[in-house]
Amino acid sequence: MKTIYSTILTKQLQIVFSICLGMTTLFMNAQQIDIEVVGIVLDDLGVPLPGASILIEGTTTGTVTDFDGGFSLKVPENNNIIISYVGYKELNIAISSNTIIPLAITLLPDLAALDEVVVVAVGYGTMRKSDLTGSISSISSDDLRQGVISSTEQVLQGKVAGLTVVQGSGDPASGATLKLRGGTSLTASNNPLVVVDGIPGVDINTVQPSEILSIDVLKDASAAAIYGSRGANGVIIITTNREGKGKSMSYSSFTAIGKVNRRLDMLSSNQWRQYVRENSIDGAVDYGANTNWAEELEQVSFSQSHTLAFSNGDKLSGMRGSVSYLKNEGVIKTTQLERLSGSISGYQYGLNDKLKLQIGLNSSIDNWQPLDYRIFQRSYNLSPVIPVYDGVGEFTSVGGTNYENPIELLTNRTAKDKRHRLLGYLKADLDITKNLKAVANLSYELNSHKGNLYKPTFAVLEGRTDNGFGQKTLGEYENKQFETYLSYSNTINNHRFNILAGYSFLENVYEGFGAFRRGFDSDLFEYNNLGAGFDYRAGDVYSYKGESRLVSFYSRANYTFNDKYMLTGTIRWDGSSRFGANNKWGVFPSASFAWRISEEKFMESTSNWLNNLKFRIGYGVTGNQDGIGEYKSLSIMGAGSSSYYDAVNDIWKRAYAPTQNANPDLKWESTEQINLGVDFSLFNRINGTIELYSKMTSDLLYTYSVPQPPYLVGTMLANVGDLSNKGIELTLNGSIINTKDMQFSADLVLASNKQKIEKLSNQQYETDVIFSGSLHGLPGMSNQFAQIIKEGFPVGTFWGYEALGKDEDGKYILSEEKKNLGNVQPKFTMGFGMNFKYKSFDASVLTTSMFGQKVLNATGMSLWDPNRLPAQNVPDDFINSGITSDPIYSSYWVEDASFFRLQTLTLGYSFDFEKIGISNINARAYVTGENLFVITGYSGIDPEVNTSGLESPGIDLFNFYPRPTTVSFGINLSI
Amino acid sequence: MICQLKKIVIMKFNIIILALVSLVALSCTGLDENLYSQVDSDEYGKTPQEVETIVGGAYSSLRGFRDDLSNSYPTSEYVFFLNEVVSDEATIPTRGTDWFDGGRYQEAQRHTYTPLNEMVLSAWRYCYQGVASVNGIIYQVEQSQLTDEAKATIFAELRTVRAYYYYLLLDMFGNVPIVTDFEDTELPSNSTREEVFNFVEQELTESIPLLSEEKIYGRFTQNVANTLLARLYLNAEVYVGAPRWQDCINACEKVTGYTLEADYFANFITENQGSMENIFVIPYDHKEGTVGNYLHSMTFHYLHRFTVSATGDYPWCANGISAQPGVYSKFEDNDKRKASMLAGEQINLNTGSVIIMDSGEPLVYTEEIENFTDAKQNEGVRLYKYEVKAGETWERDHDWVVMRYAEVLMMQAECYMRLGNEGLARTFVEPVSQRAGIEVPANLDLDFLNDELLREFIFEGHRRTTNIRFGDYFEPWWEKGTTPIERGIFPIPQSERDKNTNLNQNPGYN
Repeated sequence: MKTIYSTILTKQLQIVFSICLGMTTLFMNAQQIDIEVVGIVLDDLGVPLPGASILIEGTTTGTVTDFDGGFSLKVPENNNIIISYVGYKELNIAISSNTIIPLAITLLPDLAALDEVVVVAVGYGTMRKSDLTGSISSISSDDLRQGVISSTEQVLQGKVAGLTVVQGSGDPASGATLKLRGGTSLTASNNPLVVVDGIPGVDINTVQPSEILSIDVLKDASAAAIYGSRGANGVIIITTNREGKGKSMSYSSFTAIGKVNRRLDMLSSNQWRQYVRENSIDGAVDYGANTNWAEELEQVSFSQSHTLAFSNGDKLSGMRGSVSYLKNEGVIKTTQLERLSGSISGYQYGLNDKLKLQIGLNSSIDNWQPLDYRIFQRSYNLSPVIPVYDGVGEFTSVGGTNYENPIELLTNRTAKDKRHRLLGYLKADLDITKNLKAVANLSYELNSHKGNLYKPTFAVLEGRTDNGFGQKTLGEYENKQFETYLSYSNTINNHRFNILAGYSFLENVYEGFGAFRRGFDSDLFEYNNLGAGFDYRAGDVYSYKGESRLVSFYSRANYTFNDKYMLTGTIRWDGSSRFGANNKWGVFPSASFAWRISEEKFMESTSNWLNNLKFRIGYGVTGNQDGIGEYKSLSIMGAGSSSYYDAVNDIWKRAYAPTQNANPDLKWESTEQINLGVDFSLFNRINGTIELYSKMTSDLLYTYSVPQPPYLVGTMLANVGDLSNKGIELTLNGSIINTKDMQFSADLVLASNKQKIEKLSNQQYETDVIFSGSLHGLPGMSNQFAQIIKEGFPVGTFWGYEALGKDEDGKYILSEEKKNLGNVQPKFTMGFGMNFKYKSFDASVLTTSMFGQKVLNATGMSLWDPNRLPAQNVPDDFINSGITSDPIYSSYWVEDASFFRLQTLTLGYSFDFEKIGISNINARAYVTGENLFVITGYSGIDPEVNTSGLESPGIDLFNFYPRPTTVSFGINLSI
Repeated sequence: MICQLKKIVIMKFNIIILALVSLVALSCTGLDENLYSQVDSDEYGKTPQEVETIVGGAYSSLRGFRDDLSNSYPTSEYVFFLNEVVSDEATIPTRGTDWFDGGRYQEAQRHTYTPLNEMVLSAWRYCYQGVASVNGIIYQVEQSQLTDEAKATIFAELRTVRAYYYYLLLDMFGNVPIVTDFEDTELPSNSTREEVFNFVEQELTESIPLLSEEKIYGRFTQNVANTLLARLYLNAEVYVGAPRWQDCINACEKVTGYTLEADYFANFITENQGSMENIFVIPYDHKEGTVGNYLHSMTFHYLHRFTVSATGDYPWCANGISAQPGVYSKFEDNDKRKASMLAGEQINLNTGSVIIMDSGEPLVYTEEIENFTDAKQNEGVRLYKYEVKAGETWERDHDWVVMRYAEVLMMQAECYMRLGNEGLARTFVEPVSQRAGIEVPANLDLDFLNDELLREFIFEGHRRTTNIRFGDYFEPWWEKGTTPIERGIFPIPQSERDKNTNLNQNPGYN
């Protein structure tokens, strides 16, 4: 730090010196003559700045620098010139006959000023970064996570303080779960609302990572309240590359190789034989093979991606198109995701440049093979002495439930799924007056999912018993939106303000159908001719349709005085068809205030090192309506959900029965949040933000059991509980070395959140404890639960006996009473990244970590079972553990799953074609390693376990698709 | 300055309001939900055909359900399990890790069941889900446009279905709340066991004249209601402390049109709808989506499937419920009903030799279970009453027998015996015993009838009630000591009391 500071000092001294020099000449020559000043303007890295303005002080005479930063200007002797460039500190240089010509002028960046020009998407428009009053994290395209990304949310991993991105699986067809500031809901989704180019509620995967320009994450309620009943989990605003500047083309591609690098250490066949010999187990059957079942499932994956884009645009019109192909192969055999996607967009100005029309279309098609996750448990169950294939090349089948040959399961099955995503929009911006602008946005999203599955007549699971099983399903989801708003902005003296008001209408429709058939005489058709099956059953054909509507009014006002004091107020009214009759409309207000204390006079003394200091405070109310779903407030009859025998006509008929109680009070979950923030920048090198927040979610949705009678149905979705989250977040970006040849920067995001369930009961619904984290399906643990949802504890609290050790007989010694065994919430999460550049070489590294969260290693718990040997396999460690007890759920298996993962490491080289006389080509080649290592004390395969939902948050239960280690080689070309 | 600002703001605000109003006028703001593939309860049940499908729901409720809270199937998990395991005819031993499940089966075996036992909850919810759906159906039929006459007939049938559920509640829980009105949303409190008894009696006697005199398969007819009424009277002494033996006989005498099948097992074959003996069954057909009927898979050993199919193509089996030791030997070898249990070596159809278990030992079902809490995989003879055949699916197709004519005969035999008329009692028990191939002893006594009830109705879910009526329930037996008299009824499930604080716990439970 000290060296950096002294460099700055040196530079400033130089300038002071040159100014002094100029002053001296002023006194010496009284007679004015014009001096031909030529020079070059460079930035702090020595890169020429084209377009910098040079002005003779006190006049309007001046020029701008050319493409190479050069300029030439006649300046009367003993005058000063002012050199300025947006985002850089102004320089004032005296010109005299003694001035050394040509001038080499270096401008230093003004980080605080840069903030003024950086705009941030805030929903329904943008704001200057310096004017923000709420908590918003912005990530530019350069900072997104790199590597083999098949689900767009993964680009945010380790990038935003307070946003945990957990990728619970290495399955190429699975995405990641997002949770902002601990999440706000028990049962509803905790996913932030995704807004793509102004269209809220869009599937994040309609945008490919290569299309992203920037992502802004609205974290606190004062920022997110403009999205009302959908804003409680924060808002992710994605701005895509819609407009091409100039003519350009780009092509990028990578090839990646992946493999599994962590698996459980199970007994090898020799260890198994040794164990059987030493313990003289008579009945053990040795099939003579040496099989590592886990490895048999794996493959080395080869993935590749190609993206081609071109654009053509100027001030009045332009277009951009891109197409990309991704094949992401999984490290488990048969799995892969193939994606073809394209986007096209264009814009044009009209009505004397007052009207701007934009259209765009994004489309993608995914093809993938869903996996039968039951293979994983089987791969641990089968003993290593069993061969994959028997003597005649058939799959070995030793019989028994849960002993099916996993390779057979993997092979004797055809599963192909297809998803089609389409997003189209039309947007119009009209400048009614200089200050008043109207915006209208019309969009349509279609998302369809086709499923195909066939289990042939010889497939051990289901295929044989069903005599072939074929299935075809189609689900379709439409999202139609119209949004319009008026925005008025003006600056009067030191007062800058913006007022916005708008209306939006949204209609979602989902529909689908499916058909199954059993009983096939031939396997030739697979799922393509379901009519060929003879075994028809009730429920083999179904269809459904539903819809919902959301109508909203919203308004926001910003006011900035003197660039020092900023005030923002928002309000939104949301009316939803999903809400109960008594609560059709919700109001979501917010207010926030910011003070740029560094702009105050009394802070002048520190302005040389404290470039920006801003305090923010905000309060707001947001909602989450995701957990309600359609028709949940109505009293519903189940049509055809069960059948009865009509003896008179000797036929079975569908019975109609109530399936849902009416709840006219049903409404959104409501989150009140207060946020305190400090933004600072130091020495023009370090930018940082500290946020403190406290959230209280009330009207938590949960499906309560209700007494029956008097209720028709034993459960009811109701708004009852309260949940609180409090936390602190730190974001630091440091530009540590910044010279022409070498740059080095580091980014750190740190977050800590504390969650507590405050209330689960009210007068009407009383709940003491809800059991969650089901262990059902593990031997001897039917209907058993590992976790509790209880007042005073966070969600995902493990509750069970504490293991105090083991006795001489190898039985666990357990505490008398069940206890709190910790919970799945991390104490803090961290993302740390570094970027390094030296001449043509670049390197970057990203690490992600979570600390203090507990994971139940249910896989280990059920594998450490003395009943398993000799028929089933056990882990190595178990043999030496001396445990003789049957599996019991206790703290023994609730492990600290803290981890530090080297998420990505990239090395790149940029080619300089100008040296060989080719200009305007940029080319870079790179190699990226992903998941190169993870440091953890967790004894299971991978500590990063899915923590969402109530079913099995933080429970590692066999269905684990290993996360691969991947190395990719890529190139980026642009002209 | 400020004034100027204000003016602008107001002016612009007016424009905004204007623009908004015009936009709203153009757009749809309707927030009512349009239903497409679901039905609003208020809008269904207008036509006789719709009403019929609603009434049908009362019958499908008899098959029970499974949800996050309980497995409420009368045919297996846990309603059947509970009643069987607490009786002296069946047991679910813990086998290694399997069938421990928090100790719920051990509690039932040892009669130490608590208000937290999931099986007890399942039984409660089975009954009250049924009651609630019948109440809802009655409400919906009331709203329909059927004639009062048509409604009265339907109500009689629905009240009988509900009386069946209340009979089960009376028998298992005793002091339960009586709720008959769907619109009554007050949290109900317990009625006494006597009140529940009177309610069931009244509902049945009032409904019977309106029920069908004809036999209708799987429906509550006069015959079915009279059999149920007879059951009620048979156990009246247990339920309300005053015997009603003659009333039981009178009700039995009203059951007509049935006869014992020559072959005992004809009542339990997969296609058992032709039985002339079965009075009431719950129909099952897996192709129609019926669920819960998988008792075979709950009893057989994991590898048993190779005894049914050479390729092992048989639904998976979980090696659970078995006959309690001592039961198998209560059957003489020539008793045809002994085949209700499966004992001995199990032959692999593929190899022709005995199946070898993972332990290397042969699969031989034995009567003895040495260690109840750590039983060997092959111990315990298996439930084998309903037909087992290759090609059956996880969901079996045999209709579940609830009432048989043999029961009507045995009820009369027992009542006459208790009334001191051994001669008449003999005439009723003889056809039943003789069909099975055993002789009624010269000195007929209640002990013989008790054993005969075990043999005739083994694994039909009657045994707990019989054990209580004969008093054996409170005496020690295999893996169980003396049972306090209060445990003749189950505790009210804790989770139900959490939801409804008006519910008091049964005496003897916390």
